[in-house]
Amino acid sequence: MITTYRRPKTFDKAVKLLSDKSLNAVALAGGTFIKNFSEKPVTVVDLQDLGLDVFEVVNQEVEAGSMVTMQQLCESDVANNALSRAIMLEAGKNVRNTMVLAEHLASCDGRSPLTTALLALDVSMTWQPGNIRVQLGDHLPVRNHESPGLFVSGLSWKHDIWLAFEYVARSPLDRPIVCVALAQWPSGRTRLALGGYGDAPIIAFDGPEPAGIEYAAKDAFYDADDEWASAEYRQDVAVTLARRCLDYIQVSQTSEGEV
Amino acid sequence: MKITLNINQIEIKIKVNPGDRLLDTLRNLGYLGAKSGGCVRGECGACTVLLDGRSVNSCMLLAAQAEGHLIETIEAQGQHPDQGWKKTTGLDSIQQAFVETGAIQCGYCTPAMVLAAEALLRDNPKPSEEEVRDALSGVLCRCTGYVKPVQAILRAGAFLRGETVPAIGEKPQVSEEWLPEFRDETRLPDKEDDKGLILSGILPRLIPTPESKGRHTVGHPETKVDAMKLVQGKPAFTADIKKPDMLIAKVLYSSVAHALIKRIDVSKARALPGVAAVLTWEDIPRVVYSTAGQSDPIPGPLDTFSLDKKVRFVGDRVAFVAAETAEIAEHALQLIEVEYEELPVIIDPRDAMKEDAAQIHDEPEFVNFAASDASKNLAAEIRIDIGDVDKGFNEADRIFEEEYVVQKVQLAHIEPHVVITYWDEDDRLVIRTSTQVPFHVRRIIAPVIGLPVKRIRVIKPRIGGAFGGKQEVLIEDVAAHLTIATGRPVLYEMTREEEFIASRSRHPMRIKLKTGVKKDGTITANEMICLSNTGAYGCHALTVAGNTGHKSMALYVGDGKYRQSPNIRFCADAVYTNTPPSGAYRGYGVPQGAWAVERQMEAIVLEMGFDPIDFRLKNTLRPGELHPFSTAWSEGREPKPEVVNTIGLEDCVAQGKAAVDWESKWGNQSWHEIPGKPFLRRGIGLAIVMQGTSIPYLDMGGASIKLNDDGTFNLLVGATDLGTGSDTVLGQMAAEVLGVPLEDMIVYSSDTDLTPFDKGAYASSTTYISGAAVTKAAKKVAERIRLRAARIFSERGAEIDAEDIKLVNRSAVTLAGQAISIEEIAMDALHHTDQEQIMAVASHVSPVSPPPFAAQFAEVTVDIETGQTTVDKLVMVVDAGVIINPVTASGQVEGGMVQALGYAVCEEMVYDAKGKARETDFLDYHIFRADEMPEMKTIFVETFEPSHPFGVKSVSEIPIDGVAPAVGNAILDACGVSLKEIPAVPEKIWRGLKETQQI
Repeated sequence: MITTYRRPKTFDKAVKLLSDKSLNAVALAGGTFIKNFSEKPVTVVDLQDLGLDVFEVVNQEVEAGSMVTMQQLCESDVANNALSRAIMLEAGKNVRNTMVLAEHLASCDGRSPLTTALLALDVSMTWQPGNIRVQLGDHLPVRNHESPGLFVSGLSWKHDIWLAFEYVARSPLDRPIVCVALAQWPSGRTRLALGGYGDAPIIAFDGPEPAGIEYAAKDAFYDADDEWASAEYRQDVAVTLARRCLDYIQVSQTSEGEV
Repeated sequence: MKITLNINQIEIKIKVNPGDRLLDTLRNLGYLGAKSGGCVRGECGACTVLLDGRSVNSCMLLAAQAEGHLIETIEAQGQHPDQGWKKTTGLDSIQQAFVETGAIQCGYCTPAMVLAAEALLRDNPKPSEEEVRDALSGVLCRCTGYVKPVQAILRAGAFLRGETVPAIGEKPQVSEEWLPEFRDETRLPDKEDDKGLILSGILPRLIPTPESKGRHTVGHPETKVDAMKLVQGKPAFTADIKKPDMLIAKVLYSSVAHALIKRIDVSKARALPGVAAVLTWEDIPRVVYSTAGQSDPIPGPLDTFSLDKKVRFVGDRVAFVAAETAEIAEHALQLIEVEYEELPVIIDPRDAMKEDAAQIHDEPEFVNFAASDASKNLAAEIRIDIGDVDKGFNEADRIFEEEYVVQKVQLAHIEPHVVITYWDEDDRLVIRTSTQVPFHVRRIIAPVIGLPVKRIRVIKPRIGGAFGGKQEVLIEDVAAHLTIATGRPVLYEMTREEEFIASRSRHPMRIKLKTGVKKDGTITANEMICLSNTGAYGCHALTVAGNTGHKSMALYVGDGKYRQSPNIRFCADAVYTNTPPSGAYRGYGVPQGAWAVERQMEAIVLEMGFDPIDFRLKNTLRPGELHPFSTAWSEGREPKPEVVNTIGLEDCVAQGKAAVDWESKWGNQSWHEIPGKPFLRRGIGLAIVMQGTSIPYLDMGGASIKLNDDGTFNLLVGATDLGTGSDTVLGQMAAEVLGVPLEDMIVYSSDTDLTPFDKGAYASSTTYISGAAVTKAAKKVAERIRLRAARIFSERGAEIDAEDIKLVNRSAVTLAGQAISIEEIAMDALHHTDQEQIMAVASHVSPVSPPPFAAQFAEVTVDIETGQTTVDKLVMVVDAGVIINPVTASGQVEGGMVQALGYAVCEEMVYDAKGKARETDFLDYHIFRADEMPEMKTIFVETFEPSHPFGVKSVSEIPIDGVAPAVGNAILDACGVSLKEIPAVPEKIWRGLKETQQI
């Protein structure tokens, strides 16, 4: 039950409020899950006045504030086609207009296409206080048990990465049963993330070159069996989609198309 | 805490609780255009407002978060232009476009769509259709299929850019070549404007019948009579009023699927401050009833109690709470202690009638209907043999046998079930409820709450979608019991989760089909064995299962001698399980049967090498033939023979073939392949379907019409407009007879104190049954007007026979052209000479149920490596008799096709072994968004049904019947996978591809 609402104007004030154990305070980043609070008295600390809703590209690094909304990212130059598709698949426009990145990463499940894409991009999160940087891939598996800080202030990832995204769902914009995001760095580093199953998307592959991604995709879903699809199906489709993503990136690189 | 909100450029200082949602705050302030869909993750978007110009869900924001931002609501858009001495600029361009294009059906999500459009057009004055669809992607609509809302926004954009937009409102001008002898033509109308309106989907393509010509309002795309209020977000819906001292109700639902309540302790809940009442089964009378909103006697078992000491599914009721606020009521629910003695659970309907199965209904009060047998978990049983079925099978050259499976699906109307009850000043209980059946509510609930019918008044405001779900007397008793307990008004509104776990759904079925076919393609016999899962209660169990056979099996009678004496066997068992009850849902059993029958027909076609269209038409019912089931079954009542007079099926197929370019696609391998995409295959399929129109000798509708001083009329109908536009088409029929424009008809529906009886909106009956009642009443009123006009003419020296007077252009006109206005006649009647109130009441019941027919075409693309299927195009050609309003009628088809599309590919309700639902929201239960729709086209082939004064049949249910089998057949055409079960999820198709060794 929300009993107190606070909207700090500074980082320090936000940290102070969120550090105060007597307040039972939580960061309110957008508000899309305001109904999920417990019956205990809760103080919500609204971060909207901290200037975290901007992003920029510095030295080929995208720096996005944690209060950047999905729609802001979708409309920006830093989102290529694959990332935009993942965002559009994630939610309709109303939710995209309010759902901010930090909040999404805190609340999404394994069927999230956007998180799958961000995972492939090897996004790093900056936590406060202390500007603690944690890779999304390290945080997701433990996010319900461990927190590197009080709130996320920003996300960052390399801008010059090729990204491809493919998925299978029951309808064109239903939540995916299987989704695959493949990122490739100029160095050849290749990173494969799988979604559509479980509590959070997973990293299936991260290596200096793409060789082996199909095996990795299959292995990563060996037990991905739930009420929505069998592991056998997910394994097979993940391999197919991973191959398509790689083909897409290779064709795009050949034609010097969009990153 | 105190905050200042800037709402529509007005600063408002208010006090809120820190946890108050923006939606609730706005509604408390009187901004009622933002609606609640009951969701918790902002899935539906009915609560849309603009925040700093962006469309957002007000249910997902705290009011405090909105401080410092500009909030814009629908109330800041336009309003009625004429407010007495005060004039306004009227509706804004977006609202006007929504009204004109028929983009409004139930209207519950309309304000949200208008605001989403406002945000879009401010930033992007010339959006593409794709951009419009993206702007609407946050607002779910279950009625329209988004066709007309998208066109409305494009039209508004054009208007705002200063471009000329074609007028809508005239019947499309069609060339004579569209008359029946040239029906294979697919020409567009002569007028360029009409072509544009048809190509855009605002108007359907319509092939008229000669009898429908020459009307001044019937057949024309009139704007809906309720559009003005709905597009402004006026407080037209049940929850849009607030009674002083009103309590909020919540229900404790069972967490187990089958159990006795050993102990229930509500003392802590009752002691909670702010709680006004807590009721359990021990507190209220034990009255057995059925929640099925059907005519008396209800054709099904009486097996339900408001509250019982036994629960039969996860979501069954345990206790009712009424409290000062929703939060207190929810807290009280958590304080109720329940100890269950769990019983064996039946989830799979195939287990229900096993000898060792637990008995779900063992209560002594259980009242059987017909062959229902609680001891066997049998809610309904049907055994029908027409002709000599075994002989028919013996005469066949090939026998085809297969089992088909259809799933349970949710109705997903965006307005949840909602009711307000209160005592009025005469100590009568008023029930303001979102219902399709106000008169059935009154009759059914009276004994349950211990009041005589005369002390209950049921008011039906506007309904935010229903589709059959509000044919159930589902929650009126909850609020009524609590009002009786407390003496205070009570509001009960279900959440989205409660809609999933505790309301009704389409019956899942397992259907075995056996078909005998001769080498020449003649069907010799058909047999359907149906196992229907009614869930924990038997509401609609018999009648839904009956329709599964009655409509889908009756379509195929065979040819030659079999046509004269068809051989059809239909057997159905509707069994109880410990899952949420099934019930009425648009189509009412027919979509289930159509899936099986049309997939079976396709299998026969492919196996025996027939043309899919020729084979079907060779064996279907033809005009003048007896409905084969009419002598065998009539919804649990005495059957009487019915001849089917009008069947436009051949024309429907011909028009559909041309519209999809069937000849160039069917059997053309090159069309099926997509260059550069070797893993994709296109496919095309069709299904033909038949529905019914009302229940003969049973469904009754009534109407009254009263002449006012100014020559306008009050039309009062008991029929319930769910958003379908029935108020409008009923008004059109009356206006046609009375010679006035639709705007002179003041249509009101429905209120058990004020309007004549009508059985309600179900069974595709309103335009046909209630429309005939309206027409009869209008004719009576017209006759009185003509008589009085003749007398006035006589007083003025002209002896005119009343029969020689026509009512046109708001006047009574003689053959010689003399005219008296209806207003003048009204003033004469009410004030001047031999005063009388010119008014009439009429009712109608029909001896027949003339079926509409349709040909449904679908095109799909299948990924043969993953099984993913995309439906690219849906074309439906419908014979619904004469179309009273082409815009509202095509809106019905578009919305119905989209619901059916979900049924085909993605919608299903799944339960685990303990009866717990997989789907409790619109994230897991996916209904189609505006930005993922296939191309859709609607065509009407008119016939003139002689049993109705304007020649109508029905259009509301048939659109939902054919999409799934047409999609299934298209998938088969694309990749060779013959699905027996829907939804056609990717893994099923992938497995089919593996079985056929394609991957």
